[in-house]
Amino acid sequence: MNKGPGVQWRRRFTTLALTLILPLAVVWWAFPEGLTPWRSAAIVTAWAGTALLVVNLLLMVRQPHLARLLGGLEPAYLWHHRSGMAAYLLLLSHPLTLAVDGWFEAPHRAWEILAPWAQSWPVWLGWLALVLLMFGLATTFALRLPYRRWRGFHFALGLGVVFGLAHVYVLLGEVILLLLLIVLALLALGWRLIASDLGVASLPYRVSQVTRQVPGMIEATLTPAATALAVTPGQFVLVAFGDGTHFRGCGEYHPFTVSGVAEDGTISLAIKSLGPCSQHIQAMEPGVRVRLQGPFGTFLQESAMAPQLWVAGGIGITPFIAALRAQPRTRHTTLIYLFRRAADAAFLEELTDYANNDPHFILHAVETGKMPADFPHLLQQVDELAQHEVNICGPAPMVNALLPHLGKSGVDPEMIHYERFDFR
Amino acid sequence: MMRKLFIVSTLLFWIAVAGFWAADVWLPEPMGEGTSATAAGKHYTLAELAGHDQADDCWMAIDGVVYDFSAYLPQHPAAPAVMLAWCGKEASQAFHTKTKGRPHSNYASQLLPQYRLGLLRGE
Repeated sequence: MNKGPGVQWRRRFTTLALTLILPLAVVWWAFPEGLTPWRSAAIVTAWAGTALLVVNLLLMVRQPHLARLLGGLEPAYLWHHRSGMAAYLLLLSHPLTLAVDGWFEAPHRAWEILAPWAQSWPVWLGWLALVLLMFGLATTFALRLPYRRWRGFHFALGLGVVFGLAHVYVLLGEVILLLLLIVLALLALGWRLIASDLGVASLPYRVSQVTRQVPGMIEATLTPAATALAVTPGQFVLVAFGDGTHFRGCGEYHPFTVSGVAEDGTISLAIKSLGPCSQHIQAMEPGVRVRLQGPFGTFLQESAMAPQLWVAGGIGITPFIAALRAQPRTRHTTLIYLFRRAADAAFLEELTDYANNDPHFILHAVETGKMPADFPHLLQQVDELAQHEVNICGPAPMVNALLPHLGKSGVDPEMIHYERFDFR
Repeated sequence: MMRKLFIVSTLLFWIAVAGFWAADVWLPEPMGEGTSATAAGKHYTLAELAGHDQADDCWMAIDGVVYDFSAYLPQHPAAPAVMLAWCGKEASQAFHTKTKGRPHSNYASQLLPQYRLGLLRGE
């Protein structure tokens, strides 16, 4: 996340500027002259929507350098969602504004413009693009689908963009800016499909050790087969588990926060059974081939000299155990670790050892049962809370419940960092 | 929030489309107007061309060929007014350099033959 006050704002501005610069340039270039207001609106919405779709594709590229420029994958995905929605609204209004323009000419013209059978194939391409976008977004929003099917339907959106660009191309021909948009779109789609989804840009690793931490959770140690990724505690990697002697991997990339980073390049991952793929991975064995992409994320990249308050919920303990394993604490650190049942609390023994041996490290391990945590009481145990830098990792309801209490306690919002790891 | 925005905007879109369709069905039809069909291969003068300069009777000459765009005019991607200005005229320049000096697409060129009337005389 951010490295101090001001940086967060600057990153937000960068992402906003990168999102808007292409649509604004395209609209400026294509701004119509001497047309009726409604027809001008139709042309502007079409170009702005098309350019935003291309930006949308660029924001879904999982490339570490690009992600760093945007302040992490999480902000990149947030803007991926926002630009996609804005593009959809603009493109919905494109045929409608054309129809309104026709209406002022003669009311029957409006329907003539919209009815696909009154049109030719370049216009059908536009309709096909719009219907594909509608379908893709409907499956994104209206249903809570399993990840794999959800991803399949999401490809309809990519196809919608391709048909949309084809619609503009056959109507306008080889216009330089349009060609630029097409090239950018194809590069982004190609990078995502070939480099990310097919894993060409990934590095080979092998599982060297599997330990069963608690029921429903394993920790796998991965050894690089060639070059090692430069990962730091708090970061996450995209991992696709392949095959071993008795184990068949599910092959798709999922994000995992590292639970340990060693100097020899080995990486540890704590994997909790949460979905069909991570449940299957519980049966993993040493020798399984793995492909890794990343690293991503800037969580725990602390720079403030302030004392640290860490709050972990369940499997959210992962980035903190990685930081503790990497080196002894150099500044005062309090960890509040919340879990349902002590039997499910991963790394609890190891954490207790750190607390007993490291004078800078205090552990509050709290078994909550099914009740929400009593944050006012817990936060009272942290001396000079307002002076602390706070890092939170856990389920969204826990983070949302905690934030107001931190605000009331006088913690500067710029000093509160959290990640949600939701990549849909 | 995004989910709500998607549902509301998509519903409004289809309501608007249905509205335009309903208007087409329920509003009275305007008086029918036929397009002027003429035998292909004929020759026309610029003076003859100049007589067809209306939206519902729009002829143009492009690269020595005379076209009747009356039926196409409403379908033009840019406003019909842009094309209307060239009705009854020699419009090669306009066809090859549309707004801001950009040429028309191959698709536009493919459309031309179906509107062909004949040749321009004396050019």
